[in-house]
Amino acid sequence: MRIHGDQDLGAPMAPMSINWVGLGTMIRRELSRLMRVPTQAFVAPWISALMFIFVFGFVVGSRIKLIEGQRYISFVLPGILMMNVVNAAFLQSSSQIYFQRFLRYIEEALVAPFSYVEMIVGLLAMTVVRCVITAIGILIIGTAFGATSISGLPEFIFWIVLVSTIFGFLGVIVGLWANNFEQLTMPVIFFITPLSFVGGVFNTVHMLPEWLRWIAWANPFFYFINGVRHSMIGFTEAPEWLGASITVGLATLLAAVVWQLFSRGYGLRE
Amino acid sequence: MTAPAVSISHLRKVYRRGTVAVDDLSMTIAPGDFFGFLGPNGAGKSTTIHCITGIARPTSGKIEIFGIDAVKDYREARRLVGLSPQEFNVDTFAKVTQIIDWMGGYFGLRAPERKARVEMLIDRFELRPHAKKQFRELSGGLKRRVILARALVHDPKLLILDEPTAGVDVELRRDLWRYLQELNRDGKTILLTSHYLEEVERLCRTISIINGGRIVREGPKAEFLASGDLEAAYLAATGAEPDHISGAA
Repeated sequence: MRIHGDQDLGAPMAPMSINWVGLGTMIRRELSRLMRVPTQAFVAPWISALMFIFVFGFVVGSRIKLIEGQRYISFVLPGILMMNVVNAAFLQSSSQIYFQRFLRYIEEALVAPFSYVEMIVGLLAMTVVRCVITAIGILIIGTAFGATSISGLPEFIFWIVLVSTIFGFLGVIVGLWANNFEQLTMPVIFFITPLSFVGGVFNTVHMLPEWLRWIAWANPFFYFINGVRHSMIGFTEAPEWLGASITVGLATLLAAVVWQLFSRGYGLRE
Repeated sequence: MTAPAVSISHLRKVYRRGTVAVDDLSMTIAPGDFFGFLGPNGAGKSTTIHCITGIARPTSGKIEIFGIDAVKDYREARRLVGLSPQEFNVDTFAKVTQIIDWMGGYFGLRAPERKARVEMLIDRFELRPHAKKQFRELSGGLKRRVILARALVHDPKLLILDEPTAGVDVELRRDLWRYLQELNRDGKTILLTSHYLEEVERLCRTISIINGGRIVREGPKAEFLASGDLEAAYLAATGAEPDHISGAA
């Protein structure tokens, strides 16, 4: 039997054509990897949200007065949701690229006819899908237990997609840089968790002492949480255009950094 | 005039820490050739292959695959090349079928033709009983077959084999030789690196020896064998003394 097929598989590719099949394969492949750990990927954040609803909704929440006219659980849940999205996005993209480098199967993509943009999109697509599934799951759980609502679904999707893209990019940068597992988890410990806690998950800016409020205003997490909170319960502490501009600006900046790293082969090519 | 399968001119590769792995390397591989690329460990064989395939970025020099610039028109050039690397660069939890199928997808093969290619390669490399097993569950020889099948899934015109028979038993090695000869007869250009001189002597028509990042001897196999055996020619070209080698053993 010949190794050749009868098809002309070596037909030339138009210079600017997009490798759609390759992109689809990247996504399919990552989905397959994710489905090896569905509990960790999807069930864990939903259970975590359920626990927050139980504690802040039924145990502690009933003893806390309304915040700006909102029940405490309704105020807190968007922040909890955003923390889960941020963690999922960062862990998904950083571990995806780190393991590909660690086991060297990133070389499968490097020897294939992918442009840098295709490789980046392929890496990020599953991150965004995972985060949207995570967020919608938490939203459904919250709504089912009467802990939250949705005032603007397109706005909600906008924030989830944009924030997961930002932390997907950050994950890619860290995944390219890291040389061990310790380095891979460092940003979560020293950067993501602290900033999300002071980004207005549990309190409004006005609940902070006046001299500390600048930390909230200067913290991008505040705008992410504020944006998704507005899309869910209609409450906002900052102008919508400001939060959206900062977030789009940050996503654009990180996209440029990631593109630069890929085009230089940083952490990818020898 | 037909373009060479591989044309490398003045290739230089310096790694970030300053190691010069390849220095002013030039070589040409004719279409349809079975080309043996020999050299001691660390001579620059794998680095040259990595520069051809895109795993490494050349510091300077030019590489063309069938007349296509492997750096400027890298997407077009990569469609023509299949690589079976020295080390297993595989998701070890993936199944045999998935590994071959995903690579076909990466190269843009649509589902029906990809499925046909995967099935054909699974049969060709006698992987059918292992098709649903994870890569990590396979023996060394089976892993080599999977890697070879993966390299062939998009039917490349140039097949690069970096030590394809390292660590496999005699029987499988002979099986693989037969496969490779068949592929070459079917028109594929093959670039083979190996430490088994018997393998190179048996399979290749042209031989190039690299040492210290430079080509030190190149020519038809007959020329290497004219003055004795390939081992003597290899040791002379790389500057190793036969007595010293036997003394060390």
